[in-house]
Amino acid sequence: MGEDRALMIEVINLHKYFKDHHVLKGLNQKVYKSEVVAMIGPSGAGKSTFLRCLNRLEEPSLGKILIEGTDITATRTDINKVRTEIGMVFQSFNLFPHLTALQNIKLAPINVRRMSEKDAEERGRQLLKKVGLQEKANAYPDQLSGGQQQRVAIARALAMQPHMIFFDEPTSALDPEMIREVLDVMDNLAKEGMTMLVVSHEIGFIREAATRILVLADGCIIEEGTPNEVLKHPQHSRTQDFLSKIV
Amino acid sequence: MMPEMVPSPPTGGNKTRPSWRERFGHVPWFRRYEFLGGLFLLLLALAFFLPPFGRPQSTLVWIEIAVYFLAVLFWVGIILSDIEKPNWMKAIAAVLIVLVFGWLFYQYSGARWDKLAHAFFNWEILSATGSYGSTTSAWIELLAGLWLTLQLAFFSIIFGTVLGLILAVLRNLHDPVLNFFLTIWVDFFRAIPIIVLMMLIYYAFPYLGITLSGVVSGVLTLTLNSSAYISEIFRAGIESIHYGQVEASRALGLTTMQTMRLVILPQAIRVVMPPLASNYVAMLKDTAICSVIAILELLKTAITLQSWLANPTPLVAATALYLLILIPMARFSSVLENRMKARGVSRALASKKG
Repeated sequence: MGEDRALMIEVINLHKYFKDHHVLKGLNQKVYKSEVVAMIGPSGAGKSTFLRCLNRLEEPSLGKILIEGTDITATRTDINKVRTEIGMVFQSFNLFPHLTALQNIKLAPINVRRMSEKDAEERGRQLLKKVGLQEKANAYPDQLSGGQQQRVAIARALAMQPHMIFFDEPTSALDPEMIREVLDVMDNLAKEGMTMLVVSHEIGFIREAATRILVLADGCIIEEGTPNEVLKHPQHSRTQDFLSKIV
Repeated sequence: MMPEMVPSPPTGGNKTRPSWRERFGHVPWFRRYEFLGGLFLLLLALAFFLPPFGRPQSTLVWIEIAVYFLAVLFWVGIILSDIEKPNWMKAIAAVLIVLVFGWLFYQYSGARWDKLAHAFFNWEILSATGSYGSTTSAWIELLAGLWLTLQLAFFSIIFGTVLGLILAVLRNLHDPVLNFFLTIWVDFFRAIPIIVLMMLIYYAFPYLGITLSGVVSGVLTLTLNSSAYISEIFRAGIESIHYGQVEASRALGLTTMQTMRLVILPQAIRVVMPPLASNYVAMLKDTAICSVIAILELLKTAITLQSWLANPTPLVAATALYLLILIPMARFSSVLENRMKARGVSRALASKKG
């Protein structure tokens, strides 16, 4: 599917060890432009590790990762440059507590993209409006609710105008009533054609927004397909077992 | 009638102690105002019958004074140990015991107060000019010494902080080889007594062809010593910042140094302000060690004046000057610490609400 579109991510035989623990066992995967790939699976399956290897927050032990054709595992590659094209949203938000919402968003464009203060300010306000928090520009993270913090974190990732965004369990640390507001923002991003990799167990969101689901277990992709295929007619017994527990 | 008089024991979080009336149904006789007032008047009257000024010669008189003091102590003790007495009364009682002790000491210690004043609080000798062939008064000399002390402290603090910060940032690179040398640096300068290091630099370095002036040796010693402590303070501050902050920064494309400068240090500096301030207080005090290498800072000036004038008053004046500078600094570092704790509490509450 989507072979005519630009290839964004290509993973070839990716292995990851933590000491003796074999976390990822030779993953192969291709992600094309505007795909929304959801990753599900039991805890410890390696979903987060896989995602974090893709921008080298974890060093891959073996294998090749190509981001828009650039081999990021090569020593010559400037990983910081690659990372500017990849937004990342974390489970625990990781906003900078000493900066306001707007300053959080402006920091990277000004210091990495060398954007002018004025342009960054304008862009920051636009993005805050986009995530529905224009009136919270000068609030510090500890004055915001969890849902608001995560929306600022998404705006911060978008400020770099990335070509793709990784979401690492973006709603797992949120109270139930705040999950919706974050998922809505993600939903809109998907509709705008953003390439997204999402580790999440929000089945409703996945059914709605994802173009593809990867099911991971024990460091392997045990099943993949469209939401319809995987959620309605899971083939692998472990997928069936997992889905029966969370749905 | 007994059961309802006895209150239930206080529960875990309840800190207020039950009153005497609640506990025993009545206030014990020695805690009643009638008794305490009577005892107070009695002690006041007895004060007029105490022995005359001067060191007592007989044991009997010593016992008399001791009994009087114990009676006052008893009176104060009753008030201070009583939950029901108002705070102002306890404050007066506490001040009173100090005054009574001071008064008794003044009366019967046999101290030579006139000699003491001449030796240690001789203000004429401080303000007189030309008493040792100099055109300035001892006061001016002491103030000049204080000024040099402040300069020594200022430059040591600046250099020590910069060096400590650099060491802490290098430590944060987690390079095993670098860490080995950093550990040696920190351990060495924390282990070596300041006074020993200072003498080595001032007296032994010239044999290596390195001759430094007293002030430079002093500042260098204090800088090296404090760099070890300050780097540990900064390291603790940096390590207290959650690793998610680094990941978020790196994921945005910030370099290691940008992450340190824009994200980690601004947060770490808030954490380390209180320990840093108290370290600065210690450094200002340590400048007194510079007196061993003939730097005319406050202490050395006082010692020199003392031998010139054959009178220890300059030393007392120097003490007063040290306290004048250091008590506000010590107070300030405590305020910072308390503010930090208060902020921590409000942060925790805010995140709970969130």
